[in-house]
Amino acid sequence: MPINRKTSRLLNSPYVAWAVIFIIVPLFMVFYYGFTDDSGSFTFDNVAAIASPEHMHSLLLAVALSVVSTVICFILAYPLGMILARNKASNRSMIITLFILPMWMNFLLRTLAWMTLLENKGVINGVLDFLHLPGINIINTPAAIVIGMVYNFLPFMILPIYNSLSSIDDSVIFAARDLGADSKQTFFKVTLPLTVPGIISGVTMVFIPALTTFAISTMLGGSKILLIGNVIEQEFTLSYDWNLGSGLSIVLMVFIIINIVVSSISDKKGEES
Amino acid sequence: MRSKIEKLYTGIIFIFMYAPIVTLMVLSFNSSKSRAKWGGFTLKWYINLIHDSSVLNAMANTLVIALISTVIATVIGTITCVGLMGVNRRSRAVIMGITNIPMINADIVTGISLMLLFKVLHFETGFVSVLIAHITFNIPYVMLAVLPAMKTIDPNVYEAALDLGAKPFHAFRKAVLPNLTSSVLAGALMAFTMSIDDFIITYFTKGSGFDTLSTKIYNEVKRGIRPEIYAISTIIFAVVIVLLMMSERMRNRHASVRKDAPLYKVEKRISRRRFILMLVPAFAIIILGMYFGGVFKRKSNQLFVYNAGEYIDPEIIEMFSEETGIEVIYDEFETLEIMYAKIYQDDAAYDVLCPSDYMIAKLIDNDMIQELDLDKIPNRKNIGQQYMEASKAFDPGNKYAIPYCWGTVGILYNTTMVDEPPTSWDVLWDEKGAGEILMQDSIRDAFMVALIRNGFDPNTTDPEELAIAADDLIAQKPLVQAYVIDQAKDKMIGGEAAYAVTYSGDVMEAMAGNEDLDYVVPEEGSNVWLDCWVVTKKARNPEAAMKWIDFMCRPDIALKNFEFIMYSTPNTAAWEMIEDEELKNSEVAFPGDDVLKRCTSYTYLGEEGDQLYNDMWKKVKTGE
Repeated sequence: MPINRKTSRLLNSPYVAWAVIFIIVPLFMVFYYGFTDDSGSFTFDNVAAIASPEHMHSLLLAVALSVVSTVICFILAYPLGMILARNKASNRSMIITLFILPMWMNFLLRTLAWMTLLENKGVINGVLDFLHLPGINIINTPAAIVIGMVYNFLPFMILPIYNSLSSIDDSVIFAARDLGADSKQTFFKVTLPLTVPGIISGVTMVFIPALTTFAISTMLGGSKILLIGNVIEQEFTLSYDWNLGSGLSIVLMVFIIINIVVSSISDKKGEES
Repeated sequence: MRSKIEKLYTGIIFIFMYAPIVTLMVLSFNSSKSRAKWGGFTLKWYINLIHDSSVLNAMANTLVIALISTVIATVIGTITCVGLMGVNRRSRAVIMGITNIPMINADIVTGISLMLLFKVLHFETGFVSVLIAHITFNIPYVMLAVLPAMKTIDPNVYEAALDLGAKPFHAFRKAVLPNLTSSVLAGALMAFTMSIDDFIITYFTKGSGFDTLSTKIYNEVKRGIRPEIYAISTIIFAVVIVLLMMSERMRNRHASVRKDAPLYKVEKRISRRRFILMLVPAFAIIILGMYFGGVFKRKSNQLFVYNAGEYIDPEIIEMFSEETGIEVIYDEFETLEIMYAKIYQDDAAYDVLCPSDYMIAKLIDNDMIQELDLDKIPNRKNIGQQYMEASKAFDPGNKYAIPYCWGTVGILYNTTMVDEPPTSWDVLWDEKGAGEILMQDSIRDAFMVALIRNGFDPNTTDPEELAIAADDLIAQKPLVQAYVIDQAKDKMIGGEAAYAVTYSGDVMEAMAGNEDLDYVVPEEGSNVWLDCWVVTKKARNPEAAMKWIDFMCRPDIALKNFEFIMYSTPNTAAWEMIEDEELKNSEVAFPGDDVLKRCTSYTYLGEEGDQLYNDMWKKVKTGE
């Protein structure tokens, strides 16, 4: 749509101003605090603090749990996406909505539900006890946190995978079959590569919130398990050390940038193939 | 065969998604507080909810923030998408790059960055700061929905409109906007969803006295699960389902009308009707929400009170407001360290605080509280002389603090789950209690237990002694079920654990809730604490603050409060009025000298001492 430069500048300026004040400047402040000490002089200490055993441990644990959660989400979501994408019934959009619907429940209520289920005297153990089966004991363990992550973020994996699967042109699949590929080959050589962009956006949408969460680990980990998100949160709410908190946030951002770079590279590869 | 497996698989995931939600809904009608037992059908949690104004406030705030931020973000986002059509490729890439930042970045970083901005600018955090934050993260969702649709628009249509004599804006409205409507609505819906669901960014930008549903639930959950929260879940889910069905019906009706009428007419009629349909409730909600949410806080006659969790009879707050006409904004903190951090970062956030001994010393030392206007607190005479003496340890002239409650720290245990009544802290390190131990999630109390067990002073700042205590706490960690604060009471009543390190005040209520519970102050020694009211240096309403403290010292009020929270009152006049002899002479609430002799108070350890404890605590919490 042809718009002259002046009009477009006029139209863009409110948002540009907004973005500078509320996106760029705040980020700059995180960097400022992250690279200075109490007295305001330059230092690398706050960022380097990630190497200390406590911080490293919480970072590695967060990475481990979020990778496991992402993988589980993927394994659960992909077959579901295929089933849903193949379903040509008229109620298809309704079915998709059903799988996305829990997202409209408040995130903390969804986590609370799992607290209620997993507790020692919780619902699951109540049922097991009623059936005279041995109870489970996973509340306040990493396993409980992984369950919480998977449950909360699964819709974010289902949606993009389903979208990319349902946008595959059937004729491409038929062509592969005509050329002699069996179903396994068709899947690995055609379907899977075509859904890489969907997988990547799903992975990003699960991995980053899982990596940086502090609410799920607090609620399902009994404050026994500190992830990097908890450490950063406590630097602000408990130790009022903005410098260290910002420094550790910068480390987190590095992880996010790595994730984006990796995904954009494989994204390109996916397009090429 | 294959389709059966597919159905089964879909069904299993479906159950995984919905079973937890159904559980919440079922429990919201369960009259028993226990999660594992069905005690019969009840609606009492819903009725409680209706009477809980703080929850209604939070709901109203959530809706108002979501609606306003969605509208503003949609307008700005759409305008920008139009504007982006006229700029060159590079500027567009730059703008879109910036737009992507809030979407890709972790919420915690976005939240922190905005918090830093508000703090540095001394911008008052509350409704407006949360609104700004929500608009900021909502705009990208709108732009992401609108921009692709914008690109598909045929420029010739717009030009044709211009050629036919339409003014640019008119041409835009008639020839371009209709094609964008559905994507704009999709973007707005996405923004609305994100705003309703957000917790992390709100958590960091909300300031004092302002809560959305998310932050409210987070506070509640940290205190133990109240069935009222289940009722909220059910209501929210019901609303979502109704909205979904409404939109589905609207879509169907839309489709059916279209068949027999000229397209443009239907389009116009429907969209206008739909528009009005959406606007009316939106405005109604905004106005109602502002009314209930008290969005424009900070009126002249308000008092901001910051107290520990479950540490007052809510009726007393109402009585105070009725008598004085002062509106009380009441917030709760989990630990004194969290309270201090809050005041340190925002010194005018609250007028009145209720910290313990060592924290009061720290506040005085850092010039963060003010001397009380004692003439305005005549009722302080009701406080027992021995408590005024005791408070001289941290407030030498009795100038800053008026005692509120006191107590000891000890072990609350479930007699049916232990072999013999514990007498020593050692029981918390005994393998037999593995998984049945609740430790305090507050730095000084946790270290006190380990320090005393190892024969050290609980006020030590000797790094070696602290290192030994920290190692001991790490060694204990595999046995600990969870580190909790206010949840301990709820969990012990529910039989979730055998032992909990708790404050004597919680014990009274826990024992009333579960008769299997008992309490001991271990013989190696423990902590005795005294909580007092203080007024912040930057208090905006010191006048009201003095009235509050005086009110709390009134014998009838102190008595009523004691009967509700059951924390030992230093108000001698109130104590004399206790009718229940058993309560009056309770060994737990009012221990004798033999117990008090082995208890020490905490002292303020200085910045460096605090830092040392912080570092060690972090080691404990992340260690294995």
